[in-house]
Amino acid sequence: MTSIVSIHNATKDYRLGKVVVPALRGVSLEVSQGAFLSIAGPSGSGKTTLLNLIGCVDTATTGRVEVAGRDTAKLSERELTRLRLNTIGFIFQSFNLVGVLDVYRNIELPLLLQHTLTATERSKRVLSLLERVGLQAHARHRPNELSGGQRQRVAIARALVTHPALVLADEPTANLDSVTGEQILDLMKELNRVEKTTFIFSTHDARVMAHASSLVRLADGKLAEDPGAAAQDMPFSGPGASA
Amino acid sequence: MKALLDTFSVVVQIAFRNLFANRFKTLIVGGIIGFGAFLVVLGTSLLDSVDHSMSRSIIGSVAGNIQVYSSASKEDLDVMGGFNFDANDIEPLTDFAKVREVLMTVPNVAQVVPMGINGSMVLSGNTVDQALAKLRLSVTARAQGDSTPALAQTYADQKDHVRQIVTVLQSDVENVKRLHDEKALVTDDLGSVSRAASPEFWASFDAKPLDSLEFLENHIAPLATDADMLFLRYVGTDPKVFAQSFDRMAIVEGEAIPEGKRGFLFSKYVYEEQVKLKTARGLDKIHEARSVRGKLIAKDEELQRLVREASTQVKELLLQLDAPKTRLFRSKLQGALHSTETDVGKLLGQFLNTNDQNFDERYAFFYRELAPSLELYRIRIGDTLTIKAFTRSGYVQSANLKVYGAFAFKGLEKSPQAGTMNMMDLVSFRELYGFMTEDRAKEIAALRANSGAKEVTRENAENELFGAAAAASPSAAAPAPVADDLNTELLGLAGGHRHDEAKPYDVSQLEQGVILNAAVLLKDEALMPQTVTAIEAAGKVAGLPLKAITWQKAAGLIGQFATLMRVVLYTAVLIIFVVALVIINNALVMATLERVREIGTLRAVGAQRRFILAMLVLESVAVGLVFGALGTLFGAGLVALLGKVGIAAGNDVLMFFFSGPRLYPELASHNLVAALGIVLVVSIVSSVYPAWIAMRISPREAMQSEE
Repeated sequence: MTSIVSIHNATKDYRLGKVVVPALRGVSLEVSQGAFLSIAGPSGSGKTTLLNLIGCVDTATTGRVEVAGRDTAKLSERELTRLRLNTIGFIFQSFNLVGVLDVYRNIELPLLLQHTLTATERSKRVLSLLERVGLQAHARHRPNELSGGQRQRVAIARALVTHPALVLADEPTANLDSVTGEQILDLMKELNRVEKTTFIFSTHDARVMAHASSLVRLADGKLAEDPGAAAQDMPFSGPGASA
Repeated sequence: MKALLDTFSVVVQIAFRNLFANRFKTLIVGGIIGFGAFLVVLGTSLLDSVDHSMSRSIIGSVAGNIQVYSSASKEDLDVMGGFNFDANDIEPLTDFAKVREVLMTVPNVAQVVPMGINGSMVLSGNTVDQALAKLRLSVTARAQGDSTPALAQTYADQKDHVRQIVTVLQSDVENVKRLHDEKALVTDDLGSVSRAASPEFWASFDAKPLDSLEFLENHIAPLATDADMLFLRYVGTDPKVFAQSFDRMAIVEGEAIPEGKRGFLFSKYVYEEQVKLKTARGLDKIHEARSVRGKLIAKDEELQRLVREASTQVKELLLQLDAPKTRLFRSKLQGALHSTETDVGKLLGQFLNTNDQNFDERYAFFYRELAPSLELYRIRIGDTLTIKAFTRSGYVQSANLKVYGAFAFKGLEKSPQAGTMNMMDLVSFRELYGFMTEDRAKEIAALRANSGAKEVTRENAENELFGAAAAASPSAAAPAPVADDLNTELLGLAGGHRHDEAKPYDVSQLEQGVILNAAVLLKDEALMPQTVTAIEAAGKVAGLPLKAITWQKAAGLIGQFATLMRVVLYTAVLIIFVVALVIINNALVMATLERVREIGTLRAVGAQRRFILAMLVLESVAVGLVFGALGTLFGAGLVALLGKVGIAAGNDVLMFFFSGPRLYPELASHNLVAALGIVLVVSIVSSVYPAWIAMRISPREAMQSEE
């Protein structure tokens, strides 16, 4: 099974004034296609930084990060953007929908940025995703007319509309109540199973981790030493990640 | 391609919905932009119209499109005279025919008008002088044996008039004495006036009229202070060519100077302002202010001053009244005022003390009943005007010119800027300026022949005194002006007997001879700068020291006015738009900072930087275009309205700039385009910095969790 994400000894330093703050201190990680991987760890452990590197919204200070077989350090800003557009879907903790666009347009947006599909093809995809996330009735609603769970479902639909190889979710349930959170995770899991989409999501919530097919723990910018905890296969079956 | 359009459509959608979502901010930014566009349209349209009408005024009156003068001149030519009375020091061009010939070789030159501009003082005779002169004519006629009853009657009336004048002056002198108690100065005057007022003086008048007249002329006439020095600026030119070339010129009184005749034309403005009876002029001014500008005596200090002046300064009128006219005025004024007052001076004072209720009636009464008995102008059309001017070397030269009429430049009738230029024929101008003309040379020869002995003596005396020095002086190398100045004095001796106006000249003299400058009218005004260069080049080729300047330069400060106003307007517009730019920029930066997460998200899900740039610039441009168009529309609407209604010229200076009593601004498409263009540039520029910030927003921003 090929790796969709391959990270070798990546570090990431942030500069705060004159102080250099190391956010990642040498992380190596292989994520195989079809994984449903949870990156766990307390706040400040470097979860978001790791997700940023995987999501090509940031590049490593040292080490190598390959996403879909491409070394992100060697890509230009525009190429990184194109990689995100075509290969990665994003689900954000705060949903991050475009407030002035309706649900339909929000989902269609990445396709419009790709501008490769015709209007008919786009409409087919958007409608099928709307159905999949159960929001057919809300296509013409603006995000502020929806509940949190509905918004996150729109975000999931948007993340999937380009048929990405990889979907990144940064604390996808943090802003939702536990019941809605469960529903969102179930939806993600189902998509992972049916569409074979790789999901990588960060969380510090043990209940959420429980849904992952594999799990890596981060502490102080490093993967946890505990070999049992790292890349540990979770009860529900599926391809995993290995550190 | 279709997909790209769809992408664009989502950019548009996001942009517009954002604008709508932030309508308050959009309205403020849009309001500023709209106001700016409005101001640009209105300002530039007004300025263009002023510029246009003023340039027509200047070009169409004296300046022409280009002025040509000698490059050897010490000062710059200023045909409008700027704010100086003196003409500028311009080196003459000796042969106009040659100048014209050279100028006409330049293809774009349509017409060349010879000119010379100078100014001089003219002493208009006072009322007493005029009355005495008339009396002297009668005295002379009687001495020559004319004894018709008509003459006897005229003689008696004239004597009456002079007595009347003496009475007026006597009370005047006594008043002065009472007020100032300047015994030393006044005693003499008082003695003279008492003598002239005495019955004995008049009883003996018939016996020795010439002696008596002399006494009156020497001792009484100087007491009347109504004689005014007129400062006249005039252009000496070929009257016919001038009238043909300057379409704005129109004869409003009398006639044009006939071809080949010496003569003078008053500018109507000067004629009204300076030559007209002050009382009448004051009434005209009040009338105009009330009827044209809607002012009220009760509310306007200037009008109150005019009323005060008119009612207190009646002497000018009284001096004109002989006995029958005094009786006539008394009865008419008593009737009009329902008064039993017998003192005509007091009656006039009362009559002229007008207010808003009675002004119109009295104004009409003045012109209907009183004016026909008065000389309304100190110099009448048809009179001979003696102009004394300083030649370039400082001698006084004089010419007697018939006043043929008065002219005005259409649209500039009320304008002191264009209205101070009077006109005379070029031949007389040359004489006054101190150039030898053919006629003058002959006249001098004749005078020399007549007064030969005297001349020789004079020459000898000078030679004896200064002979050696004169021979060595540089002026010996250029004797013409010296000889001319000397001859001027000879002519001055012969002064009273010359009647220049009667002496025609050959039209060819206008062509040949000295000019100071020439106005050039062009076939194609758009080619003015090239033509200026071409004229100077042609001058160089022909060996003439020609300097050519555009009408803007030739009109001096006035010509620069439009440019100045333009600078002011553009500065104002610039400031407004810089302020707008700062405000808009700030608003957009704030808006961008509020949208960091949204922009970060767009970037994260795959929007390139140019998508963000397009989105923000589109927002600015949309606001700029929509509100800019609104502002432009309002501005255009107002200009169109003003174009129908017109803007009243509140004062005489504005009359000049408006080239008439009202300015009717015209809407020019380039002003609208300019306004929209500026607005567009401002919108784009003001969005550069916020867009730069937006483009630097990292997609990471989307990942930051809301704490």
